[in-house]
Amino acid sequence: MSTFRHPPGHPIQLITGLTLWFVWFCLVYGGAAVACAVAPPPPQAGPWNGVNGTLLLVSAAFALGFSVAAWRMAHAARGMTGNDPGIVRRRFFASAAATAYAVATVSTVVVALPLVLLGPCI
Amino acid sequence: MIPKSFPATAAPDTTAVEHAPSADAQALHAEFEAVWGNPKGWRALSVVNHSTIAVRFLLTGGVFFLLAGLLGMLLRAQLAQPGQTFMGAEAYNQAFTMHGTMMMFLFAVPILQGLAAYLLPKMLGARDLVFPRLSAFGYWCYVFGGIIFTSSLLFGLAPDAGWFMYTPLSSNAYSPGINSDFWLLGVTFVEISTMAAGIEIAVSILRTRAAGMALHQMPIFAWAMLVTSMMIITGFPPLILGSILLELERAAGWAFFDPTRGGDAVLWQHLFWLFGHPEVYIIFLPAAGVVSTIIPVFARRPLVGYRWVVISLVSIGFISFGLWVHHMFAVGIPVMALAFFSLASMLVAIPTGVQVFAWIATLWTGRPVWSVPMLWVGGFLFIFVAGGLTGVMLAFVPFDWQVHDTHFVVAHFHYVLIGGMLFPLVAGVYYWLPHFSGRMPFERLSKVGFWLSFIGFNGTFLVMHWTGLMGMPRRVYTYEPGMGWDLPNLISSIFSFVMAFGVATVILDVALHFRLGRRAPLNPWGADTLEWSTGTPPRSYNFASQPPLSTRHPLWDHPELPHTIAEGQHALPTARHGRRETLGTDPVTGRPREVIHLPGNSWWPLAAGLLLAVLCIFLLLKAYAGAIIVALAAVAVLLRWSWENGAHPKAAAGEAHDLPDGLKLHSRTFDGPGLWGMGLTLLADAALFTSLLFGWLYLWTVAPHWQPPEQSPLGVWPLAAIAGVLAVGLLYMQRAVNGLRSARNEGLALQLLVAAACGALGCAGLIMLLVLAPLQPSRLAHDAVLTFTLYYLLLHAALATVLTVLQAWRVQRGYVGLHAPYEPAVVALWWRFTAGAQAVAWLVMALMPLAFRAGV
Repeated sequence: MSTFRHPPGHPIQLITGLTLWFVWFCLVYGGAAVACAVAPPPPQAGPWNGVNGTLLLVSAAFALGFSVAAWRMAHAARGMTGNDPGIVRRRFFASAAATAYAVATVSTVVVALPLVLLGPCI
Repeated sequence: MIPKSFPATAAPDTTAVEHAPSADAQALHAEFEAVWGNPKGWRALSVVNHSTIAVRFLLTGGVFFLLAGLLGMLLRAQLAQPGQTFMGAEAYNQAFTMHGTMMMFLFAVPILQGLAAYLLPKMLGARDLVFPRLSAFGYWCYVFGGIIFTSSLLFGLAPDAGWFMYTPLSSNAYSPGINSDFWLLGVTFVEISTMAAGIEIAVSILRTRAAGMALHQMPIFAWAMLVTSMMIITGFPPLILGSILLELERAAGWAFFDPTRGGDAVLWQHLFWLFGHPEVYIIFLPAAGVVSTIIPVFARRPLVGYRWVVISLVSIGFISFGLWVHHMFAVGIPVMALAFFSLASMLVAIPTGVQVFAWIATLWTGRPVWSVPMLWVGGFLFIFVAGGLTGVMLAFVPFDWQVHDTHFVVAHFHYVLIGGMLFPLVAGVYYWLPHFSGRMPFERLSKVGFWLSFIGFNGTFLVMHWTGLMGMPRRVYTYEPGMGWDLPNLISSIFSFVMAFGVATVILDVALHFRLGRRAPLNPWGADTLEWSTGTPPRSYNFASQPPLSTRHPLWDHPELPHTIAEGQHALPTARHGRRETLGTDPVTGRPREVIHLPGNSWWPLAAGLLLAVLCIFLLLKAYAGAIIVALAAVAVLLRWSWENGAHPKAAAGEAHDLPDGLKLHSRTFDGPGLWGMGLTLLADAALFTSLLFGWLYLWTVAPHWQPPEQSPLGVWPLAAIAGVLAVGLLYMQRAVNGLRSARNEGLALQLLVAAACGALGCAGLIMLLVLAPLQPSRLAHDAVLTFTLYYLLLHAALATVLTVLQAWRVQRGYVGLHAPYEPAVVALWWRFTAGAQAVAWLVMALMPLAFRAGV
């Protein structure tokens, strides 16, 4: 995506992670609904079935991506030293974006927890 | 940035009033007033100035608050004792529906947008909002829509299905009168105003900040309003779509929410709460911005954790879109979905908590001065935190099931909404009162008002939690004695009247202070933000010159600013040219990019608002022939209004030889506010279209009696062919824009006309489909969605065609060309969306069903 081409310190990074988090949320919620309409696993199968497995893999990929982005932003922010107004601005957005990506990571992991506890179609 | 010096106290800074305005400043004021001043008498209806329009929003919102509050008092009077006959079930249903709807749609959102419209240009160093005529149009839609909606009470025909209008209760079968139509048409009319203000405020924040005010140096209130506005732009469209669909079902008999014809009543709930939950934060975030503005002033130190508060605002803006199903826990949702939404609902408490801790830390590490605004802020902290805690309780599904639809929920959301919105709003009213009137509030009377309100509120709603826990359902007009509900209901009712006296005292205080209040100095609270440099009350143009700013605390770092601004020592210090203008700046860095010329007073917004009001009435009366004529007249007026734009002599009066070096008027560039306004309009449009696609896919997968025909009535390829034609039109449109960018305008009008011809061809194709395809929207939800989508696409293609023809005409008239290349780029954005939506519609409505039919 074009937003990934923007460097750390660009304000778009502040919303990229959380936008993708909402995309992930819709994918998992909608994916579970469609899978249950098309090919529901039996209720007695519990949480370990193809539907949950796929959604967990998608969730893990998103969470990993968010955490890597958070680390990248934090690392870049540490490297932005000095008091030049441009650097101060970029440092602000890089460190803010690091936190926003971390929020996206935590939100993904927490909201995905039911996938390891519940069957998808009950 | 840490301010170089803090005010020693939050007591009035009188340095400003000690200096009489210089002769230069007075002459400059006269020069600006001649261009920006408001006309008197009946011509005042044509005013577009943001301060005037915003004050009208605030006053009108206040009136609707009082009306909705009176309805609340009637409800409490009815419930004071069991078996009351004061109100019947019908009147009670109308009263609680109107109370909730008016508070949410006619008070909370418009009044906060009004406050933002008043403050933001002054805080950001601009002379006005970017689309002043749109502000005025929004106000007229608000006030006319509000009057039409509220008039239903006078006729005894007010909506009575609850403020969230669940189907089938709100459908024809159970609401056969026009009560629900008043809600659907009236609220949708008012939403024009909300959307317009949301778009305008977002563009103004991004494009008209003071020179050098980078994004990370904005006042925190601007951040709150930026997030709120983006939430409005993406959050309101699902409700607008739902309202249109439900009105079509009621008026034209199309099937969307009727399960017997393949629809699903729960789809309405999804569309409503997709809007409804973000709405709670749309109301809370501006109030949080007010609190984050007030606390540092009275703590006499900068806000602790500015960056954390920004992240918290942005996080809430996103996470709040992942909570909507928690309003539907009792509907019968799969357990997995319940768990998703339960956890997301708990998550959102964290960024909210971050803000609360930032406020506490600011007070803790500062030297707080307790004044009237802080009293209301303290009340807010207490009540809102309590409401947040019961919110976390409700996020637990088993607990939610226990108290669902009881008075516990009513108590919870009043704690959140009154605590999270009304208390900060009143804090803000007291804080900025000197700005409006030039006078200070009365210390003693305002304290009486606060304590009556605070005690009355808690007496009413704290007790209501217990009433709910004892099982009393909401929305019942009376109850039997001996259920244990008698005493708590009586207590709630008595205290609700105490609260009413509190509100009355506040109103009395505010009214009296306009005549009797002590004169306020220029910056009475020793604030840091720029709005206090405009004069109290402010001048019509805000700033005689626009200062460069690179600090979050302009008045703490540069207390001399009010004088240097008034004396014209900064940018754009003249109005001799007769233009209304303000600096256009880079959205990230705040670097000046162009001079934005703003339109002056106009009757067009009022005319358009009046025509839409008549349209609304005709639709209510089901006079559809008249409605079509008025709708066409409204379109004609809106297009005529748009004609006086860009390089039109009425839009940019005077020669532009006196601009700062390197800057042009925005209409002579490729990047003015209109481009951003169109971009955000299309974002809202995309949210509406996505909601429509969600509805289509939802019905395919969930609706119990969904009946897709063996073959789509639209066929597979017609939509693709139309998408192809529109793509060619887009290509020509883009060629015209690219030519202008490369300083070539040969054949410009012809390229625009070819694009328009493609648009017309696309319209013809869509009309043929509507006429020839065997669609049965009244019989099948499947066909109703398809038919609605075709009309949606037709509207877009028709508008693209008309706008492009107008552009070609403007080329001929010399309003568009190399000297003014801006407008085709704006129209090209509309083309991109139109062609893209057509292609997506083909994919989702023609191709995807093939896969469904093959697989399911």
